[in-house]
Amino acid sequence: MQDMTMTNNSPAELTPPRSLWSLGWQRLKRDRVGFVSLWIVVAFLVVIALCWTRLLASNWGEEVAVPYAPPTWAKGEATAATNGATDANVLGGANGPIITLTPEEDPIGKDIEAARADAGKYQLKATVKADALFMGADVRGRSVVNKVLAGTSTSMLVGIFGALLSVLIGTCLGAFAGYFGRAVDDFLMWFYSVFTSVPDMLLLLAFAAVCGRGFLTLIMVLSFTSWTATFRLVRAEFMKHRSREYVQAADAIGASHLRRMFVHILPNISHLLLVQFSLLLVSLIKYEVILSFLGFGVSVRQVSWGSILGEVPAELMQGYWWQLLAVVIMMSLLVTAVSLLTDALRDALDPKVK
Amino acid sequence: MFKKGFLYLALASSCFCPIVQAADMSKVLHVNYEVAEVGFDPAKTNDLYSSGINENIFDTLVTYDYLARPVKLVPNVIEAMPELSADGRTYTFHLKKGIYFSDDPAFKGVKRELTAEDYVYSLKRLVDPVVHSPNGYLVSDKIVGLEELSHAPRGKFDYNTPIPGLKALDRYTLQITIKEPNSSFLYFLGMIHLAAVAREVMETYADNTMAHPVGTGPYVLKEWKPANKIVLEANPNFRHVELESVGSGKGLDAEIVKDLKGKTLPIAGRVEVSVIEEEQPRWLSFINQEQDIAFIPLNGARKILNVDPRNPGKVSLKPEYASKGIRIQPELLPEITYYFFNMKDPVIGGYTRERIALRRALAMSFDRDQAIRDIRQGRAVPMENIIPRNFVGNNPNLRASTPYDPALANALLDRFGYKIGTDGYRTQPNGEPLEVELAVTPTATDRQWSEAWQAAFDSVKVHLRIKVAKWNENYKASKEGSLQMHGNAWTADYPGADNFLQLLYGPNSGQTNDAFFKNAEYDRLFLESLKLPDSPERNAIYDRMNKIAASYTPWVFSDIRIRTYVSNAYVHGYKQHPILITSWRYMDVQK
Amino acid sequence: MLSYILRRVWQMIPTLLGVMLLVFIVFNWAGGDPSYILAGKGVSKELIANIHAQLGLDKSLPEQFLLFVTQVLHLDFGVSWSTQQSVIGIMAARIGPSLALTGTLLVAELLTAIPIAILVAYHRGKLIDRTVTILCTVAMSVSSLVYIIVGQYALAYKLGWFPVMGWDDKSLFNSWLHYIPLPLILGLAVSLAPEVRFYRSFVVEELNQDYVRTARAKGLSERVMLFKHVLRNALIPVVTAVTTSLPFLVLGSMLLERFFGIPGMGNELLLAVDKSDFPVIKAITIAIACATMFFNLLADVLYKWIDPRVELK
Repeated sequence: MQDMTMTNNSPAELTPPRSLWSLGWQRLKRDRVGFVSLWIVVAFLVVIALCWTRLLASNWGEEVAVPYAPPTWAKGEATAATNGATDANVLGGANGPIITLTPEEDPIGKDIEAARADAGKYQLKATVKADALFMGADVRGRSVVNKVLAGTSTSMLVGIFGALLSVLIGTCLGAFAGYFGRAVDDFLMWFYSVFTSVPDMLLLLAFAAVCGRGFLTLIMVLSFTSWTATFRLVRAEFMKHRSREYVQAADAIGASHLRRMFVHILPNISHLLLVQFSLLLVSLIKYEVILSFLGFGVSVRQVSWGSILGEVPAELMQGYWWQLLAVVIMMSLLVTAVSLLTDALRDALDPKVK
Repeated sequence: MFKKGFLYLALASSCFCPIVQAADMSKVLHVNYEVAEVGFDPAKTNDLYSSGINENIFDTLVTYDYLARPVKLVPNVIEAMPELSADGRTYTFHLKKGIYFSDDPAFKGVKRELTAEDYVYSLKRLVDPVVHSPNGYLVSDKIVGLEELSHAPRGKFDYNTPIPGLKALDRYTLQITIKEPNSSFLYFLGMIHLAAVAREVMETYADNTMAHPVGTGPYVLKEWKPANKIVLEANPNFRHVELESVGSGKGLDAEIVKDLKGKTLPIAGRVEVSVIEEEQPRWLSFINQEQDIAFIPLNGARKILNVDPRNPGKVSLKPEYASKGIRIQPELLPEITYYFFNMKDPVIGGYTRERIALRRALAMSFDRDQAIRDIRQGRAVPMENIIPRNFVGNNPNLRASTPYDPALANALLDRFGYKIGTDGYRTQPNGEPLEVELAVTPTATDRQWSEAWQAAFDSVKVHLRIKVAKWNENYKASKEGSLQMHGNAWTADYPGADNFLQLLYGPNSGQTNDAFFKNAEYDRLFLESLKLPDSPERNAIYDRMNKIAASYTPWVFSDIRIRTYVSNAYVHGYKQHPILITSWRYMDVQK
Repeated sequence: MLSYILRRVWQMIPTLLGVMLLVFIVFNWAGGDPSYILAGKGVSKELIANIHAQLGLDKSLPEQFLLFVTQVLHLDFGVSWSTQQSVIGIMAARIGPSLALTGTLLVAELLTAIPIAILVAYHRGKLIDRTVTILCTVAMSVSSLVYIIVGQYALAYKLGWFPVMGWDDKSLFNSWLHYIPLPLILGLAVSLAPEVRFYRSFVVEELNQDYVRTARAKGLSERVMLFKHVLRNALIPVVTAVTTSLPFLVLGSMLLERFFGIPGMGNELLLAVDKSDFPVIKAITIAIACATMFFNLLADVLYKWIDPRVELK
């Protein structure tokens, strides 16, 4: 619980927040890398919105090609043996007429015979499956393009909501600890040190084991284990700000504690929270991958980058590299863009840079 | 041979002379496990990996012929196969003389000979409440008097209590009496859990018997890093043993007989077992000759093998591997894999026609051929009989599985009033919502099976909920009967059909009968079959039992995996046995 | 200083108690019951009750927790539920390989990341800075799993430059020489980029401080300023980063250990969680918690040493 009292802090935090944001926007527009990144992130957000509204990739589960159909531009790659289904005769060898359960022996034999007449209306038409797709197909013959788009949407939503929740938890707890200090701070710091002393992975595994699989679980689990960094940051900021003149001025005009915390101080550190949010976004997306690799990812009806990467080690050994490639491209594009944008934001919103 | 043994004894017990050893200590065998072992107390462990080590340290009364297929029991530490009394209940074993335990401080410097009393002690130990052996069920209800002994009050279990079913008639003669004739009983005696341990050792290391295995087998435990590395060294006290098996006299068998001729077992002086859990590194280290033997990883099959699409048993290595001299042995695993329904469950269980129809429809909806092709990579065959192929009693003409027919499944569900509701999914005939929960583990493979089941349930318009839990959680829930549906694999403990048929035997509910299936006729036939030797009469009973299972559909029959074992060019004497876990004592490395 | 340290150690007690409570609650809730696995194929009520009694699971939860506290006080965690080997013995055998890997990794990271960070920070805004920053960002964007899977496949198997996996039990040095390099390289590949970016941002921030401007105005040479003042101040985040990255090292090494068959703590923990081996989980968690607290204290003491202006409260 050290307190770093720097003697040479600039009083720049006193700048009203509005001008900081507009100044930041001006600076961001001048930063070419940051600006391009911003557009890429926006493009990804559009993709999410389209997937969310089922306008895009809603049919990712359809089996449109043969298993492991290669990309059209790499057709030379070996296709899977599609006729691998085996005749049970081949090993051991049947040597007489095949015996099965007869309708007489079967307690529902008569019903099955009767149902057979009605089965016609459920007969599915055989569909022709493509033997190559733009980015290939997975084990069930689903299009990798659609799958990865759907996965992008899931992973980003997990990352965004997880990071939001995580920042929310961290900010609230950090604000209370930093603002009130004393017993509140002692208790929250105790809580914080307990959480940071237990290996993250252990908590992740334990929470994931309890909560089962699914989108909401992932968000909860990830935010429960990642709020600590934000907590420490916000606590330190609040400790610094609570004794500043503008807060004392607010006190003088009778603003309540909550008002001082969230109306007066919070906007002054909002730029830090934005940076924290984008850092968390990246790290949560990566955590999701590891959790999914260990089997605690999204449910069977959903797909995420993590669940796709979980299939990759097996595929790589068989020489099917296209899912890996597709995920790596999407993932590095988004994560790079978010990271560069974070940098640009950090620079643009840094009140010390004039 | 006796004379040689005598001289050996004289040499070893004098303690001054160097010990004469048959095994070549410079030869090191490198083998691997894909799952971590537990420990080396044969009574306390029942996992494949611990048992694989125990197999090399301890001796059972009988063992399997190395090369013979179908598998055949042969005497191990006994002079000949036991005499069986006329009523089929009393076995008499004559132990070979001059078999010694490996040296251990527990013996206080004295050479310790294996006697009939050791087996009496070891078998009683399986029902000792303090040991809480997972293998007690093998003997407790079979050997006369053992069950009564096991009910001794806590802390009062006395090994000196004589029981009628288990007697050492003299130092080398053992008599075992069982309650009912049982055609599989000798197979039990071949299981490593029933091997001889020495009482002094168990008592000396009572609080850590897992780490102090002392047996009469070909190897001793030299070093143990749990879940990482196990090192075995040739047991200097091991009796003189040579390969006696001849097998088919052709091909690999003939080659092994020729290679091992006149050699004393074990051949390699040292065995190093590494635990390598991930598939890819395991295979890569085999290819780099860091491992002598391995098996082809499931996901590598298409990269490594040329498979005859119509016969998955017919395979050859791709040229880049074949040119390295790697050799393959494709084998059907001694197993069945199936998904069970909980017959006690209020939604999916029960014996009424509508419930049978629901289970049957779900079984019909599952495209097993596709799963074998895509998930098993073609390296499996459909399971058609509760008794796996290559096992005595399997009728290759019988098809007890439910044929894939989702259209018929839909029509059948319509007929029994499982109506399609407004959400596009079916309800129960009484109008209540219908949802089935499938319990799976968090592995990549299980995710594939879950996806396949999801497709199956969607095709018959039934809601599926997938519950992901760790393996041990599912295991516990399945024993408590709180799962609705779950996948299982059963690997043979011994080559008797009853080992598989007991999985649906009513009284085994909550133990091995995870489906909690109860059918009076099935149970009666099961008990009847136990008393019969291999005969057309017994085979007819087996077929009937299969048909009962097919009628009520407590299981969805899945598949039997094919495992392709591989060995590097310099390995000799290796043939994978279906029941024995390891072949290490027969293996030679000539780098 | 001494009284400060003593006070901090005193404060560790409630934290440790909290950790124990957290682990206890979480794993009684999530950890599962190992007795069914231990019972094997012949499950019976008697056998389960027997095993429960043996593992102490028949006691009430407060009693079990009290027992846990006593164990920690006596530094005796009993025996593993699955292998029945002494937990302390297992840990003693695991700590060496883990430290050999993560320790080397940490040193390697610092030795490469900090010089690169200073270099690019010094040339901030120029081409080299932009290139390195962007390269790092791209490198960071790929999941660590991809590095491990692809790296092991390509470097060990396809190119055969390293053994695929393994460990020499007899000689740690030998293992270090043969088996550590590949996981080290892959670990470095995963962590170098974020480290460089992290340290760069601190050096840059320090270079933007007012005192630097003043010093520059006074005509102090850039080099002197960089190494004498800036670096000294930028060391604080380095210390923080090193100490706070220790839990992450365990996480990172968990995957590396698993893929490369290194018999370390991470691997052991994954196995223990899998088998519901509660004694091992408890012991490893307590050990890591103690290490984290110790390093946090060390960090604060180091702050004071690096920057005397820091007040230790």
